[in-house]
Amino acid sequence: MEYEPVIGIEIHVELKTKSKMFSSGPCNFGESPNTQTVPFDLAFPGTMPVVNREAVNFGIKVCSALHMNIARTLYFDRKNYFYPDLPKGYQITQQFHPIGTKGYVEIVSEGEKIRVGVDNAHLEEDTAKQIHLSNISLLNFNRCGTPLIEIVSDPDMRSGDQAMKYVEAIREIVTYLGVSDGKMENGSLRCDINISLRKKGETKFGTKAECKNLNTIQNIKAAVDYEIKRQTEILESGGKVEQETRRYDEALKKTVLMRKKTDAVDYKYFREPNIVPIDLAEDFIQDAIMSMNKLPNQYREELKAIGLGEYEIGELLKDQKFTLYYTECLSLGAKNPTLLWNYLMVDILGYLNKKEIALTDLKFTKEQFVAFINLLAENKINSKQGKEVLLKMLEEGKDPLTVVKEEGFEQISDESYLQSLVDEVLASNNQVVEDWKRGKDHALGYLVGQVMKKSKGKANPARSKEMILAIIGPCGK
Amino acid sequence: MTKWMNKTIGELHQLLVEGKVTASELVEDCIQGVLNDSCNSFEATCFEEARKEARKIKEVKEDEYLKGIPYLAKDNYSTKGVETTASSNILNGYVPLFDATVVRKLRQKGMIMVAHTSMDELAMGGTGTTGKRGVTTNPYDHERIVGGSSSGSAAALAQGIAPMSLGSDTGDSVRKPASHAGLVGFKPTWGRISRFGLFPFAPSLDTIAYFTRDVKDSAYLLSALAGHDNNDMSTSYRKKEKYERYVEEKKTLHRIGYFKAVVDAMQDEKIKAAFFDLLEKLRKAGYEVSEYDYPSDLLDALYPTYMIISCAEATSNNANLDGVRFGPAAKDNPQTYREYMKECRTKGFTDLIKRRFVIGSFSLLSANQDEMFSRAQKARRLIVNKMNEFFDSFDYFITPAAFSLPKKICDLSTAWSTNPDFLDNIMTIGNFGGYPSITLPMMKEDGIPVGVNVTGRVFEDGAVLALADEIQTLTGLKNLTAKEVK
Repeated sequence: MEYEPVIGIEIHVELKTKSKMFSSGPCNFGESPNTQTVPFDLAFPGTMPVVNREAVNFGIKVCSALHMNIARTLYFDRKNYFYPDLPKGYQITQQFHPIGTKGYVEIVSEGEKIRVGVDNAHLEEDTAKQIHLSNISLLNFNRCGTPLIEIVSDPDMRSGDQAMKYVEAIREIVTYLGVSDGKMENGSLRCDINISLRKKGETKFGTKAECKNLNTIQNIKAAVDYEIKRQTEILESGGKVEQETRRYDEALKKTVLMRKKTDAVDYKYFREPNIVPIDLAEDFIQDAIMSMNKLPNQYREELKAIGLGEYEIGELLKDQKFTLYYTECLSLGAKNPTLLWNYLMVDILGYLNKKEIALTDLKFTKEQFVAFINLLAENKINSKQGKEVLLKMLEEGKDPLTVVKEEGFEQISDESYLQSLVDEVLASNNQVVEDWKRGKDHALGYLVGQVMKKSKGKANPARSKEMILAIIGPCGK
Repeated sequence: MTKWMNKTIGELHQLLVEGKVTASELVEDCIQGVLNDSCNSFEATCFEEARKEARKIKEVKEDEYLKGIPYLAKDNYSTKGVETTASSNILNGYVPLFDATVVRKLRQKGMIMVAHTSMDELAMGGTGTTGKRGVTTNPYDHERIVGGSSSGSAAALAQGIAPMSLGSDTGDSVRKPASHAGLVGFKPTWGRISRFGLFPFAPSLDTIAYFTRDVKDSAYLLSALAGHDNNDMSTSYRKKEKYERYVEEKKTLHRIGYFKAVVDAMQDEKIKAAFFDLLEKLRKAGYEVSEYDYPSDLLDALYPTYMIISCAEATSNNANLDGVRFGPAAKDNPQTYREYMKECRTKGFTDLIKRRFVIGSFSLLSANQDEMFSRAQKARRLIVNKMNEFFDSFDYFITPAAFSLPKKICDLSTAWSTNPDFLDNIMTIGNFGGYPSITLPMMKEDGIPVGVNVTGRVFEDGAVLALADEIQTLTGLKNLTAKEVK
């Protein structure tokens, strides 16, 4: 029997606003427990929600990036349930009228371009953090009330790779927009994945399992693949998949049962009476959209157009800071996109990682880096010299042109001088030229090397090679 | 009993301006009143803070109407440093960290809070008998209720303990006790005054409201309290007005309507006669007064609609009371959050509150929501639409605020009313539509006051106050206090 996996994903994205979704409490990560709260965050009687303008602005940006319809009037609802991390006894969310509806994300999975539908995106507030010790549980309300946008996909994905690419795409979008840190490892982006199987060709959905605790992008693929395997085995042995919540165990590399979904909680949703409907001014919506940062897919198209490969583009887009650095260098006149990529993503990235410093800690300006790249692009220095120049730039913050001058690295492209060197070398190496003519092709390298040696490494090797070939002709057979 | 506190704010203000009395003397007088209270009107006091505030006041200028005047607040107004429990055991020992916006505004105007008054637990109730300190009685007859839920605020004012007290009005919680205690009870337009810091019962109905013994005082208070508040998104951005001008310049509107169904259903002949007498006086004073046939099925819907909406909102609003962050902690060694919360809520709420929570919860369950909560919302819309139609041809809706004398305490029953009388719930219309609505004395029957209620269009608070002042002149019933206690 062949089964088709059906995967839908809910992603909670923490918005990095200055204050909380409905209060003036600050949104700082990593502060001492219970220091980032105001009375509303602890649900003291009489406190009231006030919608955060910045969060709405961020929400509009996300919806726009996901090609969604943006609500012109905002409504909020209460989701009622008792839980220790929920001080009000209800969460304020947008159950009935989300800020965004019906959009999509485009992903590429295993070479195939796929459009994943997004059902809705809604604004809500985060809960407090629980810390369970052996015989006591502690509550930290710092996170309580942090704005979230929950992005709910359609059940459009069919494989672990698609699921992973979808989450990656959403993560890229929210980080590029600057509305979230999008860090799965510290929970600023959290996914719940619903997975079910059905017989190929059927339209009805099978029973789903919900999978939580996925704290890296790679784990998403692993968890989904595992879950597909697990459910397939159950179905093939004639069993039934049970509706349950599972978590991914990184050590075991499998999903394990958290709880069975017996009776679903009745959240008794109703309109939040303390927030009257908010009409969004067209200007407010347009301002949010107009001030959006460029999105990964836009960069992708542009970078493809200048000839960068799929792999290079992918690596670059993983970090918006590098993307920005790269594209700014291009607009500052860097002449060779591939060279630029190599030095930025191999040499500089390697150096930064080794030193554990950031791109902003570099001791030279982008203009200097562009000058450096162009020295190479125009063959004014060779790659060996390039490495030395870059090291001096990185270590001492020196200007590349200064280094070239100080070290005497300037390549010689003066035709008449080069010609004299070539003539000299050929004259004193008759035997080698003879070898070349008899078909020993390594002779050419030796001759170029001799020219380099005579010029103390400053000769332009490519031009020297051309000049030698012009005299000695093609390699004999 | 009290020397000064049986006067109106206007009178006291004049005395303060003329230097005939000091704020400290007024506060001491009020404290004496609180100490000699005979109705169980109080929950908590803040005498020392009040004395300190009073000492700061050296002089009062003509335009500082509220400065130096003592007042009382219902026990559901968050007051920094003063235990505030909404008369519920679940909040015992809770001392708020912040002031309600109205408390802050009154302080800025120089008014001095002296005590918190008792109330029906969490403002849910209409008798003044369900607070954690027991029954609050009517100063006109201690065997009778003063009404609720703003019971202590009403009983204290009727005893002349202060010239003003804050209440809150979700169904008629200020306007009904105002009737039973011979007071002016004003519920302004929903959204006109910030509710920030008022412990919520049902936010879509809850309104800041208050008692005075003179309509003009109520107008001055609205001028002080109205306005948008950044802490309450439901407050209107509409410009504030000088509401006392409406009273002083007699800026009334002219068409007054009453419901046929209401007068048809009235049993108490004396009240009926007084009501018609008042209508006659209004006609003579030049008003157009006529009958309106408001559909009786909508009147019958008032009670169930009110119960479902208010209980549904209440069960959610009070879900924060789990004993974890404030209020008495659990003592029976609970092992889980659920056990902890259950113990606190089981001990903290009385059965009447639990009953309301059950009704509210039940009506919100997804299986029942269409049939109950959504239907109640629809009914509310119909009631309000019809009322707005009424207001197309009338400027005011007038009705007796009570249709019998306040109930005797010994006759009270907590049994569920199976055949509710719409008359008892007629003033919920004011909350459903958010209309400004005021109760003031209409008559006395056997020495016990009965009030009349006037409701106007939203944000026409000034016009409502102006007509109330006119009625106050016509009845001559102003600044009543219960002088001879039975």
